[in-house]
Order: sequence, then C-alpha cells, then structure tokens
Amino acid sequence: MLDFLHEVIDAASRHAPYADARHVRTRFQGLGLRNGALASMDDHEEEGIGVRVQLGGAWGFAAARGSDRAAGEDALRRALALAEAQPGRPERALAPEPPARGSFSSPTQIDPFAVSLEDKLALLTEADSLLRAQSRVSVASSQLTAKLEEKSFASTEGASCEQRLTECGGGIEAIAVDGAGTQVRSYPGSHSGHVAQAGYEHVLALDLPGNAPRVAAEAVALLDAPRCPDSPTTLVLAGEQLALQIHESVGHAVELDRVLGSEASYAGTSFVPVDGAGSLRYGSQHMGITADATLPGGVGSFCWDDEGVGAQAIPIVREGVLRGFLSSREGAAGLGLPRSGGCMRAEGFARQPIVRMTNVSLDPGQAGSLEELIASTDEGIFIETNRSWSIDSKRLHFQFAGEAAWEITGGRLGRMLRDPVYAGSSPEFWASLDAVCSQAEWRMASVTNCGKGEPGQIASVSHGCAPARFRGVQIGSG
Amino acid sequence: MIEAAEVAERALVAAGQGEVVVTVTQERSLTMRFARSSPTQSTSVDDVTVEVAALRDGHVGRSTTNGTEPEALERCARAAVLSAEVAASQAGAGDFPGFAPPAPVRQHDGHDPETAALDPGLGGQAMGEAFAVAGETRTEASGMWTAAEMRIAIASSTGMLLTDAVTDAFVKVVAFEPGGRSGYGAQSAVSAHSLDTGQVARRAARKAVTGEVGSLPSGEYPVVMEPPAVHELLGVLAWTAFNGLAHAEDRGALAGKLGTRVVSPAVNISDSPRYASTLPRAFDAEGVPKTPLPLIQDGVAHRVVHDIRSAAMARGASTGHALAAGGAPDGPLPTNLVMIGGGAEDEEELCAPIERGIYVTRLWYTNVVRPRESLFTAVTRDGTFLIEDGVVTRPLADMRATDSALGILGRLEALGARSVLVSDGELYGRRFATGSVCPPVRVGGVRFTGSAAHP
Repeated sequence: MLDFLHEVIDAASRHAPYADARHVRTRFQGLGLRNGALASMDDHEEEGIGVRVQLGGAWGFAAARGSDRAAGEDALRRALALAEAQPGRPERALAPEPPARGSFSSPTQIDPFAVSLEDKLALLTEADSLLRAQSRVSVASSQLTAKLEEKSFASTEGASCEQRLTECGGGIEAIAVDGAGTQVRSYPGSHSGHVAQAGYEHVLALDLPGNAPRVAAEAVALLDAPRCPDSPTTLVLAGEQLALQIHESVGHAVELDRVLGSEASYAGTSFVPVDGAGSLRYGSQHMGITADATLPGGVGSFCWDDEGVGAQAIPIVREGVLRGFLSSREGAAGLGLPRSGGCMRAEGFARQPIVRMTNVSLDPGQAGSLEELIASTDEGIFIETNRSWSIDSKRLHFQFAGEAAWEITGGRLGRMLRDPVYAGSSPEFWASLDAVCSQAEWRMASVTNCGKGEPGQIASVSHGCAPARFRGVQIGSG
Repeated sequence: MIEAAEVAERALVAAGQGEVVVTVTQERSLTMRFARSSPTQSTSVDDVTVEVAALRDGHVGRSTTNGTEPEALERCARAAVLSAEVAASQAGAGDFPGFAPPAPVRQHDGHDPETAALDPGLGGQAMGEAFAVAGETRTEASGMWTAAEMRIAIASSTGMLLTDAVTDAFVKVVAFEPGGRSGYGAQSAVSAHSLDTGQVARRAARKAVTGEVGSLPSGEYPVVMEPPAVHELLGVLAWTAFNGLAHAEDRGALAGKLGTRVVSPAVNISDSPRYASTLPRAFDAEGVPKTPLPLIQDGVAHRVVHDIRSAAMARGASTGHALAAGGAPDGPLPTNLVMIGGGAEDEEELCAPIERGIYVTRLWYTNVVRPRESLFTAVTRDGTFLIEDGVVTRPLADMRATDSALGILGRLEALGARSVLVSDGELYGRRFATGSVCPPVRVGGVRFTGSAAHP
C-alpha cells in the first residue's frame, strides 16, 4: 500500500509544496440485543484514500474509495481544486517533525474478529436474560463492538509508515419504567460500555453477565428512590462520570484549534487563553492532567497521529497550573512550540485530520481507596455513571446528570438517590478538587461518541482517573 | 460515477435466497470551512455505502461496504446473511415482521442539477462574501459552506426497486466582534445557488454587538426564540416524544397522552416531507414512501412516527420514518418537522409585550436529561440579549436553560408568521441532511438554571 501512496505523493509534489496521503481500511462489527431480540448485528468494512494538500496557504482534502491509481489521482485532483478555489492567504508553517517511518500493531491476545458470532451472541444472551430477571425492567440492552483500522501514511516530507489498531468492548443497560418516569443503570459505562485498544480478552474481563443482576436491581431501586436534593455540597465522582468531566471541561478546552479560534463556528472556542500555559490556574494543587497517546489500552493511543507525528505523553496541568495544549503541526508552529503534540486524528479515510484528544487523564493522587475517600467525607453525594451532559461553547459552564447517586453521611454511603444533576464552571469546579484517590484505584473509561469537525467526525478516546472529591458543588435533580 | 440501482440489484443477487433489502447511498459532497476571516479546512468526499439487510426468522443482520466490485458485494451479502442466521439459531424467533412490499412513491423537487455539479468556486465565492462583510462590519467571520448530491437506490426481495436523488446546501457565519461577542446567521436549501451568504453574514454581524454584557440570575423568564432555537426544541421532541420505539416501550414523553392536549392550542407540528422549502425525501430507509403525518394539532398529540419494527410493537403500520433497514437501534425519527407559524410579523413584534425577558438566537449542546418529561438542558449561543420594555436592549451572557420541551410549548404565547428551513449542518457519517421548518416564537416562561458569564 505504501508504494501506491508514494506514487500519489510524487504526483502531488509537482503541484503543492506540502501533501500527505492516507490509505485506511476499516472493519467494524457491532452486536446488540434488546429484550432478547437482535437489535443490531452490523458488519461494516470500507477502504479508501484521503489526500491533503497545502497550496497558496489553503488546505484541500479529498477522499475517494478504493485503493487503485484512479482513486488516488481523483482524490489528488479534487484536493488541488478545493485548495485553489479558496481565497488566498499566507503559507502556513508546520512545526518540524522527523519523517515517520516503520510499522506498528496494537497488542491483542484474542483477535475479536476471530471469535465466532455464536460465542459473542451467547455472552450477550446470558447478560440479557439476567437483566430481564427483574420484573420491572422494561428494556434490557447489551452490546459488543470490535474495530480494526489499518492505516498507511506518506507525505512529501518523506514520511512512510503503517499501523494497525484493534479495539473492542461492550456494555449492558437496564431501563426500568413506571408511571412517574424512567430510570436507567448501565455497566461499565453508559456510552457503549467500555471500549479499549485490546483484543476480546478485554470483553471477557468486563464480566457483563456477572454485573447484570446488580445493574437491573439498581435500575428498579431507583424508581422508588428519593430525588437528589438541591444544595451545594461535597461531590465524589468516579469512573465514567469523572472521565466525562475531564473530557468536557479539560480535554476540549485545551484543544489548540479551539484556543486559536479555528473551531469557533462549530465546536466552539475555549475560556483558556492562548498565553495561558505556565500561568493559568486551572484547578487546585491536587489537579494533574496528562494527555498520553502511548497509554496501553487507551483508544486514544497510536504510534503516529494522522499527520505522521510520533505519539507522546504531554503534561497539560501540573499542580493545578496549565502547562500545555493538544496541538497539530500547524497550531504548534503558530504558537511557536518546537513540536506538535501529535493530536491530529481523522475518522476513517474520508475525513481530514483535526485536533482531537489523545488519552487525557487525571493523574492519581494520594487519597487511598474509594472506601477511604468516602470514610474521610462527613457529608456529601457520590454520583456514578453519566446520563446527560452539556457544556457551553467556551467549555466553561457545564451540567451533568448521573444515573445514580448515594448520600454520604458520617463517612459512609447511605440512601440511593435518583435523578442526580450537578453544575458548575470549569475553573471553579477544578479549584474545588481537594482529594484524588491513589494509583491502585486508577482506571480508564472510554468516550466513543466524541463529535467534532465539519463534516462531522466521531472519535474514541480513553480517560484514566481515580475517584476524586470536589467541595461546594451545586447538586440538584434537574 | 456508479449507477446506484445497478449496484443494488447486483448486491441483491449476491444475497441469494431469503428476504433481503439492499440500500445503496452515494455521496458526493464539498465542505469548506473558515475561521477568523480566513480559510481553514476543506473536504471533498466521493464515496458510497452498500448496505445489505437480511432477515431470518424475525432477526435482521446488516452488513455494509463501500466496495462495489463483485467480491465486495458477495462478502457483504454473506456477512449479513450469516449474522441473521446465527441470531435465528441462537436467540429464538425475533420480532421483525418482514420488509415492506413495493408501494408507489411520489417524486419531489429536492434535486438541483446545478448544485449537483459541486463547483468549489461557489464555496470560495461564499467565503469571499463573508470576509467582505466582516471587513465592513469590523468583525471576524467563521463558518462553513457545504453542498452535496446524494443518490439512493433500494432493491429488495419483496420486489422493490426505488431510486431517489437529492441535493442540499448550507452556509453559516458566526461573526465575532473584537471583544469576543458572537452572532449567528445560517441558511439551508436544496440549491446552492439560492444561498445568500452576504445576507447571512450581515445577519450574523448585526448580532455580534459590542458593549457591556449583562447577566441574569437563574429563574424563569419570558423568551423570544429565533427559528434555530425552536429547531432545537423540535429536535428534543423528535427523540423524546415522536420516536415510535420509545413510545411503544412506554418511555416516550407522549406515552399515555395521545389524544390529549399536551401543549398550547397554538401549536401545530407535522412531519411533512414535501412541505415548501424543506429537504424532501421520497422514501425512508426501508423503502416505505414518505407522506405527511400530523403529530400535534391545535395542541393535541395525535401520532408518533414508526419504522416497521416499532410499528409491529404498536400493532400499527410504518409511517415511513426508518433510519435503517430493519430499524435503527434507537428507533425511528421524523426528519422533516414543520411547525406552522402564527400572526406576529417578526421577532420585534414578538418582543413587544415582554417587560423583562431573554432573546435567544440558538441553543447549543442540547441534551436530554429525563426523556419521559422531555426535560433537556442546553446553553444559549451566538446572540443572547436582554429584552426590556418590549425591545432588545443589550447583550446578555449566555444562559443555561433546563426545562421540558413540551412544557415550553405549553407556555407558548405567540408565533411569527415567517417559517424558515433550519438545519444545524451537522453531517456525521454518511451524509443525511435534514432540517425543520419553523417560525420564531414567544414563550411566557423558560426555566434558566445558570449563567455562562465568565467568573
């Protein structure tokens, strides 16, 4: 495949000072059961080439399906036409990067596409029947996904590399309904469960059937639980909900394209100023954030990003102070950084790379276990699993709803509460962080529905975190 | 260029015996983005999706490919059939009753050959117009221009062979004044030539008002909503109230309420695929013809929308709202919502009776909190103003609204006379441009739960 890309790049170099080309072959499989019946059994495969050129200061990107010479020539012709059609602007510098060379495969123990449909369906059927054992569960859902992406990349700067990334995961959900409303519980997360860059061994380790009875019982119990009270109080977050809090109020806010204004009309901008690195107090001294594209198992991991920049672990926040951004070669050059942070990612072959999160994680603290954190909390609320999320276009004012909450009284978990909602402003919220549990409690959660770009692109990313405590947060029930 | 119907027929043959639906969707699109009055990204897509949906004993297996050569189609068909057969053998009888028989579909005027030519020069010209207005108004322009042609063919073992061709075009401008306040303008149409980028840019620039920004405490305020904000409300209702699967599973906001008054008597909402200025489609993803469907009339809830699966659960018939053959996991949705306008001349007239309220241009990051109550949360964006003594007086910091969509329409006081097509231009996956036709409205009270004023 690389020979074919080199031909395209050779042709491009006669017209444009910079060009790159990616060939991507994607296979995706998704299975879902709903109340015992097949809700989805999708097998998807696609391949094609995406060519990006910079000409007269403008970028042109075009995608064509297939992998033959005609597809490459067609994509190059359209990319050049697009670049030429735009109003002129100065040439854009790209931060220097040694040409990417070599090949990489993400590690797997069990190839998820080699596992039979029968075995996968049997796993979901078992989980589904356990979810429906609770009579007040109206909708039981279970799902598995697997994805293989094989990417080749070449550029006019001499890059020539290939990588093969495998991910898979799964989850279960129970919806209980009564006259007053609906309640939902899911495991291990509400957004496609938990997806990891791994083989089918990851799915087996999730033990979906083993968690189904608890999930169903909690969904039903929520129907009769009291509503979460309205008040400012101490909030303990863990797992997926804390991961999404990091995603929305830190990860997106430090994307350099937002900070520089180039995503202003869609995804939005950021409250983070362009000169904030080294001076902006983002949160309390307990806050450390790292963007790590080398994290084993993270779905934001790779060997090279989609403009050929090697994977890196970038410090974003240290002791509460902003240290860095998620960047591209163009953004890094514009900010005077010596190197891109390696955060350009594209969905498949038919979208151009844009600044995306890698695995943006909260560094572990020293507060011990979740049990110890709860024990050291006199009064508050513990919220688990995301149900709804929203944040303004500057990544400042957010509101999240969780699936379930529990009272914390005298250092112990008390009654379960339904419809928990909390809201705040990003820097105030992170300033209220006063404890993060230790490394032993640190886990990854996945966000597989992150939308950005025009035309839209969906990206998957992992966020690692240990349970954390925030003081004086506004809690309510929506 | 491929011939979509011919590919669909070949895939149908490759699938062999048994009940099968093949859908071929060909996308040719251009998208050109700009920010800070300068071009940023541009994308040209020429791609196709071939989807084979095979039915075995009530289970639908689906497989998709973007290859059209015989080997790719055979592999795709085999995967779909295998999926359905495995499900049938392990999960017992499924609940899908069978694909639709052929039915006559009505043509529409949703295709413009000039737009289908996909001239990138039109996008470049649009950018130039936006930049010129930005220069005149001392603002910076960010936004997008996009146009596409979609060709769709469906062939089925039940005897269907349908084709459709549509075009869509969209432009938006978000203007920023030097202090960072922003204003929004957008236009959507079947024809790229009918987009007036200059007017869109001027509208955006007028909303990017320099000056002291006020803020309001949380509470309930009278509101005037422009059509883009109303479009968001309709989107919430599409998911929570009109979705036939949620309704059949007793999770929907209209569960137990059909035939009763659920909103103000001034509200009339339908799904009307050939209404003037909408983005029409001839049939849905299961080949069921698109027809007008009244959903709320004079405030009374009448219907929800169905695909074949949800219709079977409700013991009814599909209304032509499938998003995938065999039913999308999240159920059917209306894609051509129309809200009938009222008597108010314009937004100015809608503001006139309000002593103190909020003017909302659009809502952002809308997400459902409790679907049964159609409770959602969203933040205002790109043009939020204070209304005092009947007129817009000054810019407001963006506000978070957390309220019930049905509740808001229950407190609706007046509608503008001019309905427009609103699309949010979000085009994920295989392009499927949709929009709603709606007027501006005045609402007696919307619940705001916070301000996005910078601390």
